[in-house]
Amino acid sequence: MKLTEEEIKKITYETINELSGNLTVEEIKEAIKRKILLTKSYDLKLKERKIPPERVILTAFGLNKPGIIATVTKALADFNCDIEDLSQRIIGDFFTMIMIIDISISNKELKEIQNEMERIAKELKIKIYLQHEDVFRYMHRI
Amino acid sequence: MQYDFDEIIETIRMTEIEHFDIRTVTMGISLRDCADKNLEISKKKIREKIIRYAKDLVKNAKEIESQYGISIANKRISVTPISIPFDSYTSEEFIEIAKTLDLTAEEIGIDYIAGYSALVQKGMTNGEKELIKSIPYALSQTKRVCSSVNVASTKAGINMDAILMMADIIKLTAELTKDKDSIGCAKIVIFANAVEDNPFIAGAFHGVSEPEVSLNVGISGPGVVLDAIKEAGKVDLQQLSEIIKKTVFKITRAGELIGRKVAEKNGIPFGIVDISLAPTPVEGDSIADILKAMGLEDVGATGTTAALAMLNDSVKKAGLMASSSVGGLSGAFIPVSEDAGMINAVLSNNLSLEKLEAMTSVCSVGLDMIAIPGDTPSSIIAGIIADEAAIGVINDKTTAVRIIPAYGKKAGDLVNYGGLLGKAPVMNVKMLANSNFINRGGRIPAPIRSLTN
Repeated sequence: MKLTEEEIKKITYETINELSGNLTVEEIKEAIKRKILLTKSYDLKLKERKIPPERVILTAFGLNKPGIIATVTKALADFNCDIEDLSQRIIGDFFTMIMIIDISISNKELKEIQNEMERIAKELKIKIYLQHEDVFRYMHRI
Repeated sequence: MQYDFDEIIETIRMTEIEHFDIRTVTMGISLRDCADKNLEISKKKIREKIIRYAKDLVKNAKEIESQYGISIANKRISVTPISIPFDSYTSEEFIEIAKTLDLTAEEIGIDYIAGYSALVQKGMTNGEKELIKSIPYALSQTKRVCSSVNVASTKAGINMDAILMMADIIKLTAELTKDKDSIGCAKIVIFANAVEDNPFIAGAFHGVSEPEVSLNVGISGPGVVLDAIKEAGKVDLQQLSEIIKKTVFKITRAGELIGRKVAEKNGIPFGIVDISLAPTPVEGDSIADILKAMGLEDVGATGTTAALAMLNDSVKKAGLMASSSVGGLSGAFIPVSEDAGMINAVLSNNLSLEKLEAMTSVCSVGLDMIAIPGDTPSSIIAGIIADEAAIGVINDKTTAVRIIPAYGKKAGDLVNYGGLLGKAPVMNVKMLANSNFINRGGRIPAPIRSLTN
């Protein structure tokens, strides 16, 4: 984690205010270092709490043709999405694929991934749905 | 895989093909702290409070919609029955309040705001009388405001004076909105045993025992139930009930999830999920089609009431198991104009007003979105309301009347509102005189059922 100059200034002022007078420069430096460390770990903890594992379920349907899985997985890889499970069926000419994807480490929001998938779906003339896992958990698990 | 292939496909089919959607997320907001002697201050307080809580309702609902892939058809607001906080106001002042509600709803991008209401089952305060008198003018001068009046309850009996007054109010509303097929009447609901947490417009209001603010959800999935019944084929009625229950269980669970998420995003408490099967004019999203799939030639056939009773009961049972926050009306709605199958049944003379009335004794609400000839006398309309109220009061259930005496139209004509309100064939009404009974006035005493203590 990098701190901006502004943040370092703020922490320094806060620390000096908290300390009582008559301190050496060294002591002040030490106190500020401790404070920065504390800030760091606090921030990290917050971050961990902020991003619970988020999984979405991708469902794709359409007429089978070469390159569907390749195109979809390439896009997911570009977005740093982790495919946890994949299953597909081909009945006649019809293709169905279901993926469970972890998007918590992705640098994109679900909406952006959905938009990209919509673009791919149009290009491949298939249908792709991306829904939060909770819908399936609520409907099919007690 | 953690989920079966078939389970995932089932969910996708429900949301994408069978029109399963969250019919409404309705934010209930208490306006009890908005009253002031000065009308202008009250208006300012109302606007500010609604905006404070609901400014992001639409935006947040849309985000949840795309995140979970389940569409939310309507985002709406219900408020405290307006007659309660503003009891000291005159009709003119109430109309100003209605206009404020209308403008505020427009400002935050919602299509309906409900709660221009009064609860007068036992009697009226002066303020309630003023509000009721203002309803036709308030509804004809606004677009988004919906009104409801509770005229009867199992505990209090049936207030016939209020019913007589409401019959005139409906007639006047029909006249004042005659340019738009008397659309004003589509925004008035007359209740017996009204519920306080109903999320469905037009009859919604934020009851007096409700918290400061809460979010209620109405789910809807006639198409899902229809397909499940069709798929079941020839099974006996117990098995059929099981199939309906399993299907409704799933959609209720999804409804509760969405409701909680929208509430969380708005930072307000979640209220209830109303597990109603609410049809839309879209093909396949119809209660009539469900009844036909159960084995009837058309709605109105003998056996219709029994089939509807079973459907309604199965919906409730499934909902109760799926969520511990079931509330509102929870059952099957049988509006005419909003259900393509019901419209067809009326057009082909298979369904009469009398059969509809019988059906309302086992469905979740009552005579809903029914057009009748514009020259129907007030006493006949009052008779229809009184009959419906009696069914509610005696059976300890909610019943309602949303009836449109379409100005200038006669039986066989059509009123067309478009959108979710749909179109309604003007139905034939028996014109046998009842005025010597209706005009006696007073109150039909509470039934023996009210003495449960």
